[in-house]
Amino acid sequence: MANTALTRPARQVTARPAARSRSRRRGQGAAYVFLSPWIVGATVLTVGPMLASLYLSFTDYDLFDSPRWVGLDNYVRMFTEDDRYWHAVTATLEYVVVSVPLKLGLALAVAMLLNRGRRGTGLYRSAFYAPSLLGASVSVALVWRAMYGDGGVAGRVLGVFGIDVGSMVDQPRYALLTVIALAVWQFGAPMVIFLAGLKQVPKELYEAAALDGAGPVRRFVAVTLPMLSPVLLFNLVLETIHAFQSFTSAFIISSGRGGPSDSTLLYTLYLYQRGFTDFRMGYASAMAWVLLVVVGLITVLLFRGANRWVFYLGEGRR
Amino acid sequence: MSVQATVRPAAGVRRLRSVRSVLWHVAVTVVVLVLLYPVIWLVSTSFKPADEVLSRLALLPEHATGDNYRQVFGGVAGYSIWQYLGNSLAVSAGAVAGNVLSCSLAAYAFGRLHFRGRGPLFGFMISTIMLPQHVVLIPQYIIFHKLGLVNSFWPLILPKFLATDAFFVFLMVQFVRGLPRELDETATVDGCGPFRTFWYVILPLLRPAVITTSIFTFIWTWNDFFTQLIYLNDPSKFTLPLALQIFVDQSSQSAYGPMFAMSVLALVPIGLFFLAFQRFLVEGVSTSGLKG
Amino acid sequence: MTSRTARRGARILAGVVSVALAGVLSGCGSSSGSGGTQTVRFVWWGNQDRADATTKAVALFEKKNPGIRVQTEFSGYAAYVQKLTTQVAGGAAPDLIQLDRPTFGEYQHRHVLADLSRYTGSTLRVDKIPANLLAGGKADGKQYAVPAGQTTQMLVYDKDLFDKAGVRVPENGWTWEQFAKDMQKVGAATGVAGTTDFGWAVDWFDSWLHGRGKQLYTADGKLGFTAADLEQFWNTTAALRTKKGVSAPEATTKMDGSTQNSALVLKQAASEMNYDSNLTSYLSSYKGTLKTAPLPGDDAAHSGMAALPPVYFGVAQHSAHKDAAVKLLDFLVNDPEAGAVLGATRGVPANSEVRAQVCGAATGDDKAVCDYEQRVQQRMGPADTWQWPSGSSAVKTDFQQVYDDVIFGRTSVSAGAERVVENAQQALEQ
Repeated sequence: MANTALTRPARQVTARPAARSRSRRRGQGAAYVFLSPWIVGATVLTVGPMLASLYLSFTDYDLFDSPRWVGLDNYVRMFTEDDRYWHAVTATLEYVVVSVPLKLGLALAVAMLLNRGRRGTGLYRSAFYAPSLLGASVSVALVWRAMYGDGGVAGRVLGVFGIDVGSMVDQPRYALLTVIALAVWQFGAPMVIFLAGLKQVPKELYEAAALDGAGPVRRFVAVTLPMLSPVLLFNLVLETIHAFQSFTSAFIISSGRGGPSDSTLLYTLYLYQRGFTDFRMGYASAMAWVLLVVVGLITVLLFRGANRWVFYLGEGRR
Repeated sequence: MSVQATVRPAAGVRRLRSVRSVLWHVAVTVVVLVLLYPVIWLVSTSFKPADEVLSRLALLPEHATGDNYRQVFGGVAGYSIWQYLGNSLAVSAGAVAGNVLSCSLAAYAFGRLHFRGRGPLFGFMISTIMLPQHVVLIPQYIIFHKLGLVNSFWPLILPKFLATDAFFVFLMVQFVRGLPRELDETATVDGCGPFRTFWYVILPLLRPAVITTSIFTFIWTWNDFFTQLIYLNDPSKFTLPLALQIFVDQSSQSAYGPMFAMSVLALVPIGLFFLAFQRFLVEGVSTSGLKG
Repeated sequence: MTSRTARRGARILAGVVSVALAGVLSGCGSSSGSGGTQTVRFVWWGNQDRADATTKAVALFEKKNPGIRVQTEFSGYAAYVQKLTTQVAGGAAPDLIQLDRPTFGEYQHRHVLADLSRYTGSTLRVDKIPANLLAGGKADGKQYAVPAGQTTQMLVYDKDLFDKAGVRVPENGWTWEQFAKDMQKVGAATGVAGTTDFGWAVDWFDSWLHGRGKQLYTADGKLGFTAADLEQFWNTTAALRTKKGVSAPEATTKMDGSTQNSALVLKQAASEMNYDSNLTSYLSSYKGTLKTAPLPGDDAAHSGMAALPPVYFGVAQHSAHKDAAVKLLDFLVNDPEAGAVLGATRGVPANSEVRAQVCGAATGDDKAVCDYEQRVQQRMGPADTWQWPSGSSAVKTDFQQVYDDVIFGRTSVSAGAERVVENAQQALEQ
């Protein structure tokens, strides 16, 4: 990003106060112009519908007749009377808690592996990223179902190691694992981001640590992790949010049912069933808002906790 | 790099290093193959005849055939695959144009310009990333219906021109913040207002972020089945993922062979796209100021 | 550098935008409406074969009715329901709609469908449609949808496996008791479960109930059975499960009525209950010889089978082109040319004359369907006691989900039955 502008002598911008405030006002007006597409989009396509769905969450709305106000009924029923709601919550929590660390761990490990800079890294990087490209598609989910189903390759491979699982997608014990596997398979996206982050770690730090007698593990803990922490936070937050909203893989693998026995009934899948199959859009809206609030809280918690372990190069330890 | 006389290591060490290198390559290749097995399986199944598709789960077909591909190229639901490809391209290209334009505009405002409420608005924008799709689906549909835009590409592209993809605004804001302010000041001193500063100074420097945005937008839009399903009714307007759906219907006989063939064909454009731009991807990510 | 890059960037951007615009402009602007032509939107779900046949039939209709243009839309079933719901909710309902029993109940209850009574007998001919079939599209005595075909329940079985076990289909069909014994025989002799565990689907429970003079739902849309009934039904299957009379849980949980998830096709059971509109699908996917038999029933008066519409056609209440849509409906159901083109893609034709014509000319798998229907003609009861009211799709999903819990041992049969009844009552109240 070489820039001729930077080599010019830095001139003092001694604008008079009046001129400065005039330019500030012009800046403010300009800001709104720049923001106008976003403002229109946010109001009409985001805030408006959000408020509409908030309203709907307090109604009984079957999509055809007008919504009928029921107050907190949906929320009450959700938390106290609906067994399947808790199945969905459990399944989703299990999914998030297992898939996110696995995915990030794998992404980091492979990124470090590829960071050696040997020949062909570019090709390998593309290969590792490819699953992320394909992952959300219907075809891959169908392939997954076949692979982990009867006579699929997964069962046969595990059989070689003496583990007899049968058809994993058809048993409550294992079905969610196959959905998790599909999520983890797509570790290429966070991996690419980690790779970029690793490349920005100044080599001098490693050399200094080595000179101080630090072994590979110590170097990882003392140099790599802290330097990667902003990227780690970024990946952690995004992957967690995406995990909570995961839909397509569970939908296809369980043929839309969330089975067997609700073991793969992820939250958004249950939401979809309630809203579109059972025509209970008010209830579905309530579920959506609960999800929004929970995800929001978790994100805030993640950012708050980040103060303790995230380290920004230009700012020193907080 | 420390300054040292570059001494060539002894022959034994060199051999050890190349052996280790070979082992490394082998290990990585094995991992890659295991990882890509599902894709390989998908491609191989697309060459299997109808009776083998469901029943034979081995990797290679017993009687390889091009029938599935022939069926796909013969047209799906009355339209050729090129039509669906063209539709997908149009939608994805439109989305890219929209996102690049609107998100960079918004990012410049959030990242550089001062205005009242910048903080809270920024926080609000970030929080929209967390919005589940189903929350806003029906109201959005009603809006587009009232505008008479259903059954066209507009509902798929217009939101992109309105910076609704907060993820990319965020990405670009991070990047803009990483640009030295002297550039802006120099431009101002040279007589540029905010608009010219944006167009001539900032935007060109945003190139890596723009490329990242373009690539991700293209790929995500290409694969975005749900929105396309809701807003495209006429089969002539179907995109590739929608056309794929036609092959798999649980209430009547499904045709998995052609579906897999079409899946493979649907993945080829984004595969190529990715291969062509993948180095920009890492560049884009690495210089988008993620370190803070 | 900056200005050159800026210009290049602008040109690239312009290029992308023009591609997008070209695409968008071609993608929008539907509208016909030239002169006096009306455009009718017709939607259905189904696979490629059904789509091809229907599009051809529609083309025929357009030729015979130059003032009417038909815009067709179709997709797979899951996508179809999602999209139709969104369209109707958003006020963009199509004119002619394909429905099945669950969706018919839901939409009719919500006044989405137009009352066709004033068309029947004139523009909409229904005289050649058997009364017991036509009854399925009625509610409160009014006709809200017309059956697009006819199907009935069947048991499809692998002839070789049954022969190996020495099991023969009795002259007048099985009783439930005999059926249970025979399925155990098959399981014991061949190692393959006698039949697919039929406790998963509310459909077979409905048949079993009808065999006892009961039904799933009463005429006023309430539950027609008790927890005790369901308990008895599920205990029957439970007893069979232990003796390989019915399929294992892993095989049963996949079932959804389609052939790709069918335990029979995957060779995990020797027979299966389904509707005969799926017979052609079975015949083309199965490796072996398949034969058909009626469902078990305890006596002729209570056969547990009926002439059911696999799909209906209905017209939207808010359609602006009702007359044209009804014309299209009438054409698809009654016109002999349409019948020839549509064949058995929606079950055997509803119109008895068209059916005779289609079945007369049928070959191969289509002929098997026609033959079966002919054979079990006498056993088919009227369709009106088989209607599914609003809330029934929730009951159907819940039924299968609870059964999943039962077969995997997560809940007992009695607890499960209670839960189903409780949830069903709630669902039906909505």
